[in-house]
Amino acid sequence: MKQIATLALAGLLAGGAFSAATAQETIKIGVLEPLTGPFAASGTYVMNGAKIAADQINAKGGVLGKKLELIIEDNKSNPTEAASVAEKLMVRDKVPVLMGAWGSSLTLAVMPKLMEYKVPMLVETSSSGKITTSGNPYIFRISPPSAIEAVAFAKIVDKLHIKKADFLVINNDWGLGTAQDFGKMFQEHGIKVGMVERMDQAAQDMSAQLSKFKSSDADTLIITSAVEQLTLVFKQAAALGLKKQFITTGGSQNPDQLIDQAGTAVNGTMHLTTFAPWVPEVTPDPEATKWFIGEWKKRGFHFAGVTESFRGYDGIRTIAAAIEKAGKAEPEAIRAAMWQLDITGLNGKIKFTKQGPAGKESGQSIPTVYLIKIEDGKVVVPKL
Amino acid sequence: MQELLQHLINALILGSTYALLGIGLTLIFGIMRVVNFTHGELYAFGAYAIFFLESSLGVNFFAAIVIAVVAGCALGALIEYVLLRPLQTADIDTTMLVMIGAWIVMQNTELLYWGGVSKAVPTPFPEEPLQLGPVFVSWLRIFVLIVGTALIIGTYLLIDHTKLGKAMRATFQDPATAALMGVNIKGIYTATFALGSGLAAAAGALLGPVFLVTPTMGDLASLKAFAIVILGGLGNITGATLGGFILAFVEELGAGYISSGYRDAMGFLIIIVVMLFRPTGLFRQAERIG
Amino acid sequence: MTTRIAPLAWLVLLFTVPLWLRDPYYLHVAITTAIFIIAAMSLNLLLGYTGQLSLGHVAFFGIGAYASALTTLGFEITLPGGWQLTHEPWPPIVGFPISVIVAGLCGYVIGKLSFKVRGAYFVIVTISFAEVTRLVALNWVELTQGPLALNNIPPYGIWLPGLGVYDFWDKTAYFYLVAVVAAVSYLIIRRLVNSRVGRAMVALKDNESLAVSVGIDVTHYLVLAAVVSAAMAGAAGSLYAHYVKIIDPDIFLFIYTVTMVIMVITGGKGTLAGPIVGGIIFGFLPVILRSFASPAVQWIIYGALMIIIVFVLPQGIVPAVERFFERRRARAAAAAPNPDAVER
Repeated sequence: MKQIATLALAGLLAGGAFSAATAQETIKIGVLEPLTGPFAASGTYVMNGAKIAADQINAKGGVLGKKLELIIEDNKSNPTEAASVAEKLMVRDKVPVLMGAWGSSLTLAVMPKLMEYKVPMLVETSSSGKITTSGNPYIFRISPPSAIEAVAFAKIVDKLHIKKADFLVINNDWGLGTAQDFGKMFQEHGIKVGMVERMDQAAQDMSAQLSKFKSSDADTLIITSAVEQLTLVFKQAAALGLKKQFITTGGSQNPDQLIDQAGTAVNGTMHLTTFAPWVPEVTPDPEATKWFIGEWKKRGFHFAGVTESFRGYDGIRTIAAAIEKAGKAEPEAIRAAMWQLDITGLNGKIKFTKQGPAGKESGQSIPTVYLIKIEDGKVVVPKL
Repeated sequence: MQELLQHLINALILGSTYALLGIGLTLIFGIMRVVNFTHGELYAFGAYAIFFLESSLGVNFFAAIVIAVVAGCALGALIEYVLLRPLQTADIDTTMLVMIGAWIVMQNTELLYWGGVSKAVPTPFPEEPLQLGPVFVSWLRIFVLIVGTALIIGTYLLIDHTKLGKAMRATFQDPATAALMGVNIKGIYTATFALGSGLAAAAGALLGPVFLVTPTMGDLASLKAFAIVILGGLGNITGATLGGFILAFVEELGAGYISSGYRDAMGFLIIIVVMLFRPTGLFRQAERIG
Repeated sequence: MTTRIAPLAWLVLLFTVPLWLRDPYYLHVAITTAIFIIAAMSLNLLLGYTGQLSLGHVAFFGIGAYASALTTLGFEITLPGGWQLTHEPWPPIVGFPISVIVAGLCGYVIGKLSFKVRGAYFVIVTISFAEVTRLVALNWVELTQGPLALNNIPPYGIWLPGLGVYDFWDKTAYFYLVAVVAAVSYLIIRRLVNSRVGRAMVALKDNESLAVSVGIDVTHYLVLAAVVSAAMAGAAGSLYAHYVKIIDPDIFLFIYTVTMVIMVITGGKGTLAGPIVGGIIFGFLPVILRSFASPAVQWIIYGALMIIIVFVLPQGIVPAVERFFERRRARAAAAAPNPDAVER
């Protein structure tokens, strides 16, 4: 009896030692995304894109001779939960770098923790201006803030003949920031800004707001939210016979999912996206784009997700490049290395420029923004 | 004016499904005195059932609705038989807690199986709405109104004109005497829970295609159902029906003219106000069924 | 004898926790668990001792959290009529008594209003109250920032002689702070329960009409219980706000009330140790389960556990354990010879 126990104990210890040894072979990257809640669709797409990047890098030998290990946590589309899992990743799993947290409110909630534990985070989706202007040197963002989206949109806005625009935005930093930045840009272009209606992120019935828009004299409605809510908005707008020029912003529209779930209700709608997988020739690196799309399809994922998952892909590749440049998987080294990066992602050049108060700048990369249109159930690049 | 009419039409349609939810709960709450927290989950179940049947099994939309409702009844009967029957003699907190436990298990099973991403239910109706004068209604919503109303009438007929209904009314008034009269009380309880759950599942199957199917959709539905029950008076089906419509109107008009953000608060404010001033409900004949 | 030593032993154990729980993550779990235990104890006062099924308890917790956070961060709102009300940030430590007072006041109001109704109706009113509070927190963006959350809440700073102002950033220090509040809360409840007030509460739980006929002012005692209960929950909320340093309207979600209810019921409602036992179990269970079960599976386990405990141990764990020990004592007493028996 005693011998069996000793053997078992030895086995356990050996197993523990072995797993500890193998554990040291990986470089951990913390990934926090909304996998449940109103943003679950988007968060899941980003997570899967990240996995593709990690697998691709590991297949080629990993980083600094070690394999990448993604530690993925669900922030439940909730700011408090986001802060909590970020802390868990940094304290418990001791990740040297993070990627996340998808939504602006979620990222903002995590930011104080980054300052506390001095760990850098790659922001792949959030678009609130506050993120890079709050004086947090641990933030590096590859997605465009709504201000940059507005600037990109300004280049073509005159061709759309908008006289007056109403806004229907999600009731958080992302939506409200968009209304502010786009509103300002519109006024500079002589476009009148009408109503700004909000919808709670978990709201499913927007018919009240949409009924108000019906009696508005604006010709265009700018809508900012994630694909689930956009689906509902378009379906309900169609059900009310609301006919305006619809333009969505934010890059989380997943147009193919919209076509799938909202059907004819989305014909004629236009969308500002940050990726154009339907026309790889237009993207900065058509070969890489085609490979990514191919790999995505091979894994059986819905094509609609490509417009968001590429961010997870680009994000992990950016982090890997920074780790490589830093020479070691340590937070401070990785942070310093981020500033030296100059690579090409699926969306455009990734090179961080300084934003925010001096001495505490955050990194912001300037990505490309595309305008696409849905016609007869297909995505096209509109001729303006 | 046109906007007002549009709000009224929206409210009318929503009200019919709310009424189903409310009737189902008032029966359970009234006859069995159980704080049924699984009611919202049966609502969600109805929606997931129709999604599953259509998307994974390729069942026709209309058939799927029927199956979803029947499955809801069966699930309700199962819950009653396994969880509530053994607790017949226990006090109200115990049954309430068991219902909370069941609610947690059901919701997370749905989450586990279908994931956190919301699902859209395909419908055979055209997307283009029907225009009735100044207002627009989608075909799907008209269908919801028709089926909802049919189920409400069907429930009335069941309660007022069948032996089962009579037995239920008797049990509601006085279980002891009803038992002496030969009514199978245990069977009635099971039937009541099944019926109530089936109605909740019907509401879910009808509203699921209108909105989206998410794992937490039942939570708000549960609470609104309680609001309707309070409004209409415990066990009062007419009250629940009217309560459902009233809630829908208050929500729709409140959201349209006051504030869309507080839309879902309307139900709860109603509860609080009614409880303060008329705890037995708005309608005089509170403590009777039918 | 054992009843005297046991709490003291537990207290000593409580205060030595940071010495053997070194991992900062586990310490973090211990802190949040302790905070929820305080809230659970306050719920137990209402649920266990007065028998009132308050399912909106998280409202007091959240109100306390928001009150403390807003006191500390300051706010600026426009009142109807166009007046601006500006509140300058105050030292965080002031947030604690403010949250206790504000939550207690809410408890008073709710107590006075809700005790007109009983039983299932009371349950629903309390749930509605919590939901309305959540929706207000969500929509009154000017005050609460709505879904954007109140972020960057600073921790308490206490003036210690010789050290100046000590800010509670450190986890170990915070644990001790929470432990002290928890111990004090426990003592308050114990005092209350063992006093005349407590006996009146139990009387009205067991048989309200009888209690009334004996002349016990039912509403008065219920309201008292509600105030103490709410104030304590508010205190827990303040502790929570200054620990996690971010508060959003989701704190009012029904699921948190459910968590507290699970802790109280499984531990043993109406017992002093019940919420503590329940709190420890359900505070640490997620951590243990986390490594091999997804959150959905975890919740399924809690739900199933809840159902099982209600069926098997309807009074909760603590009373079952007490009964077990009592039976052993009874058996031992029966086995021992009776010295007074006359030898034949």
